[in-house]
Amino acid sequence: MVAVVVVSHSRALARAAVALAAEMAPTARIEIAAGLDEKTLGTDATAIRSALAAADDGSGVVVLMDLGSAVLSAELALEMVDDELRSRVLLCPAPLVEGLVAAAVAAASGAGRDEVAREAIAGLAGKQAQLGEAPAPAQPAPAQPAPARPGAAQPAPAGEFGAVATVRVGNPHGLHARPAARLVTEARRLDAGVEVRNRTTGSGWVPATSLSRVATLGALRGHEIDVRASGPRARQAVDEIVAVAARQFDETPPELEKIGEWGGDDPVDVGKLDGATTGVRRGQPASAGIGLGPAWRRSSTSPDLPDEPSRGADAEWRRVTDAVAAVRREIDKIWEGNPEASIFDAHLLLLDDAELLGEARRRIDAGAAAPPAFRGAAGLIAADFDALEDPYLRGRGDDVHAVADQVLRAMLGIAERTPAGDGVLVAADLTPAEAATLDPVRVKGVLLAFGSATSHGAILARTRGIPMVVGAGPAVLSVPPGAAVALDGSTGEFAVNPPGDVLTRFRERAASRSARARAAGSRAHQPAVTADGVRIEVAANIGSLADATAAAEHGADLAGLVRTEFLFLDRAAAPGADEQFATYRQLAAALGGRRITLRTLDVGGDKPLRYAPAPHEQNPFLGVRGIRHSLAHPALFAEQLLAIARVARETPVSVMFPMVSTVAEIVAARRMLDDALARTGPAAGLRVGIMVEVPAAALRAAAFTPYVDFVSVGTNDLTQYTLAAERGNAAVPADGLDPAVLRLVGGICRRAGVPVAVCGELAGDEAAVPLLTALGVRELSVAPPAVPLVKEAVRATRLDLAGPLAERALELADAADVRRLSVQSGR
Amino acid sequence: MGKLSRMVDTDALHAWIREFARLVEQHQDLLTELDSAIGDADHGANLHRGMSAVVEVLRAETPSTPAELFKRTGMTLVSTVGGASGPLYGTAFLRMSATAGEAETLDAGDLAKILRAALEGVVTRGKAQAGDKTMYDALAPAVRALEEAVGTGQPLAEALDAAARAAERGREATTAMIARKGRASYLGERSAGHPDPGATSVTYLVVAAATALA
Repeated sequence: MVAVVVVSHSRALARAAVALAAEMAPTARIEIAAGLDEKTLGTDATAIRSALAAADDGSGVVVLMDLGSAVLSAELALEMVDDELRSRVLLCPAPLVEGLVAAAVAAASGAGRDEVAREAIAGLAGKQAQLGEAPAPAQPAPAQPAPARPGAAQPAPAGEFGAVATVRVGNPHGLHARPAARLVTEARRLDAGVEVRNRTTGSGWVPATSLSRVATLGALRGHEIDVRASGPRARQAVDEIVAVAARQFDETPPELEKIGEWGGDDPVDVGKLDGATTGVRRGQPASAGIGLGPAWRRSSTSPDLPDEPSRGADAEWRRVTDAVAAVRREIDKIWEGNPEASIFDAHLLLLDDAELLGEARRRIDAGAAAPPAFRGAAGLIAADFDALEDPYLRGRGDDVHAVADQVLRAMLGIAERTPAGDGVLVAADLTPAEAATLDPVRVKGVLLAFGSATSHGAILARTRGIPMVVGAGPAVLSVPPGAAVALDGSTGEFAVNPPGDVLTRFRERAASRSARARAAGSRAHQPAVTADGVRIEVAANIGSLADATAAAEHGADLAGLVRTEFLFLDRAAAPGADEQFATYRQLAAALGGRRITLRTLDVGGDKPLRYAPAPHEQNPFLGVRGIRHSLAHPALFAEQLLAIARVARETPVSVMFPMVSTVAEIVAARRMLDDALARTGPAAGLRVGIMVEVPAAALRAAAFTPYVDFVSVGTNDLTQYTLAAERGNAAVPADGLDPAVLRLVGGICRRAGVPVAVCGELAGDEAAVPLLTALGVRELSVAPPAVPLVKEAVRATRLDLAGPLAERALELADAADVRRLSVQSGR
Repeated sequence: MGKLSRMVDTDALHAWIREFARLVEQHQDLLTELDSAIGDADHGANLHRGMSAVVEVLRAETPSTPAELFKRTGMTLVSTVGGASGPLYGTAFLRMSATAGEAETLDAGDLAKILRAALEGVVTRGKAQAGDKTMYDALAPAVRALEEAVGTGQPLAEALDAAARAAERGREATTAMIARKGRASYLGERSAGHPDPGATSVTYLVVAAATALA
């Protein structure tokens, strides 16, 4: 007979509950592990272990617990028993008294273990029916009970679903990785057991909290998905899922179009790409420079697994959890440096995937060592993807393999695989992590089928000086390894197996470019003065101590933008003024005492700080971010201003406030800065400025003049706010050379009455240098390696000629016309 | 190099446990007071009961290896503390025991590994994340600080000092946090304004290491 174990803080309570159950089912077998002794409240894992051993007769044990440490102690006890007994025990989240009565009756009538547990959970049904639905709790309900085995899948028992609904998939490519990840994230956030199935294909129910399981639904556009949820908040959960589905799982329409474009009905085959027949093709420029070399693809070889026996299920399972934790930390680290690296969401979800971990656990329990168990489990999940019809979804199997390999390397202590190869890397897309580890000596260039020039991968490629072309189309993925590839990251041109004359043309460009780079490098440490004698400060944007060192090496005149976020992200508590002060001082020292422009913390709801919890925002980019965030967290802000005021007493410092849109904000911020200065004493060299990123501030630049010593135009955000085009989205043009953006910049320069800097990506665009300087910009702040070439671009500029050029640019139709004008005029 | 290769033996680790017990006893009232502000007012008494039992058990029969020392500490805590800190500290010490393995003595790197295992045990057991206002918020920065100090070759004493300081900062940071785990989470916003008792006691564990092992 299935036995029941009662775990409670109170021995008296446990005895009374058992007496109650015994009235209904006198023959039920019930063991007690409750209290530390007759009087002392508490739970004891060793006592639970003994109770489990006493209860077990081979037919199964259901454990019912009261609360808090009862659950933790029961889980610990389960770790302490042998594998065989553990496999027969189920920790059941049913309420103690009702659950015990129902379980005892079911067990005494000969029900199996799982049925006993289901009956226990259903024990509340009578009371609920009598009293009606419970009011929603004011506080978030306690987390769902953990599965009996770590990571094991936990399908909700049937018959307990309080709410159901059906939604239709509207996304053109179905529930592919990103919308599926959105669904899973939402399901996990909700405190209810949510399950989904594909009604159209007649699939089985799968937990909506498992990315791999959701993806196996093969949900294509137009398919109907059934949603059901259990638990007290089931209705709310289903409503939320329906709302997310109605928003097409928050997939932005342009992204949909982009996928449609590349996955369209007219596939290009590699033959058509051959330079001999079609010559040079064009993608989008992403990182300047010429790349020439044999094509290579990311190695798909997984690490070799050692042939070693299992050292016991517990030890092997721990290897898995340790390795998963290590990979999570690696990914967190990348997040730290790249607040927009949401590409890793799917990877993080896979690390959590109950299906993947549960399968690995099953294999380990069956005697496998951790590495083969994990690889086998990953293979199984990937095979589910591979079997799907949709080619995009099929490709997600690669994600599983990539994550699995990362975990295996962590498990085996093999160093992180750098995408290694000589020549031109051809790939679908490039993660920031990969971009950050490419060896610029061996990797001559990167050619991406998809991707965006404004992505973090692209920014990293520019920072590292690796030429890159993006958006080249999926046909490049069939370029055979070893084929000769030539690409120009400044124009977006590329050719596969180019004929001799084409190759020569690329080579000539490469030679002239490196000659220019050499000349630029030799003059990098001299000031940048236009041909007609106007000094332009060329500054560096830095986000780490290493950047500061690189900025000094490349001849930056100052740090025009210090992204202080690097001090604040991915930690449990804010850095204190002491720590910030020390870091700011190090940055200034690395720059040889040149001026540092410290931008105060620029975060928002898209990347909330753990210690400054933010409410959910529908659109974080239009929400509480930048200075709004700082003013909403005055203690955090005051601490940073104190550190800035202190360091400004020692070294030349400018402070600037991000995303200012109203005068009231700068007034409030200055008041707080004055408070900080009142504590530290005056700082003679301190200059105060704002970042102009919001059109409202750009249009009324003069209103800010009384409060600032300078303004710095953040062209990345100004462009995206002006053009309503998100910069990471390749499908919507967000070129800072758009005449609308240039007009705003020109207006700022005319009206601000203080020096104007530009610290967005546009400042490092050589084509933009004459236009920006002609409009009146006197400081350009760029990625450290770009400093020498931007200085050269300044030296090549004549403001008397560039002025009329800029006038004409303001009248043009779009950014593409501006770029053409810029090329024609000899740049 | 001499300092770097400094090893800690079972006796020294035993002294660490005793020092932790002493700190818990000394601050028993504070722990209870903190817990009465946001929990069920038993953390000080529970942990004191557990650590007193540990000291007795270790006195009765001196363990011969670090693994044995940690294992007995963990098992004793599991059956004598009663509250959630029983399985949490218990799991932490049992993981430390498993990680210590056969070693007779431990160096700074081993200590870092052992405390990392303890932290991961706490995470496995309690499902706590950063910012939940739990012992994790003090132990995690301590482990990170220790790993960094060891990674940069600092001597044991300084590495443990850094860990203790990091734990203390982490503990202080829990004051502003809103509890999301355990009984304190029922208080919601009202749980802010007091440091977390679990973060406080685990800070003593790290401080005790800095005192006893340096």
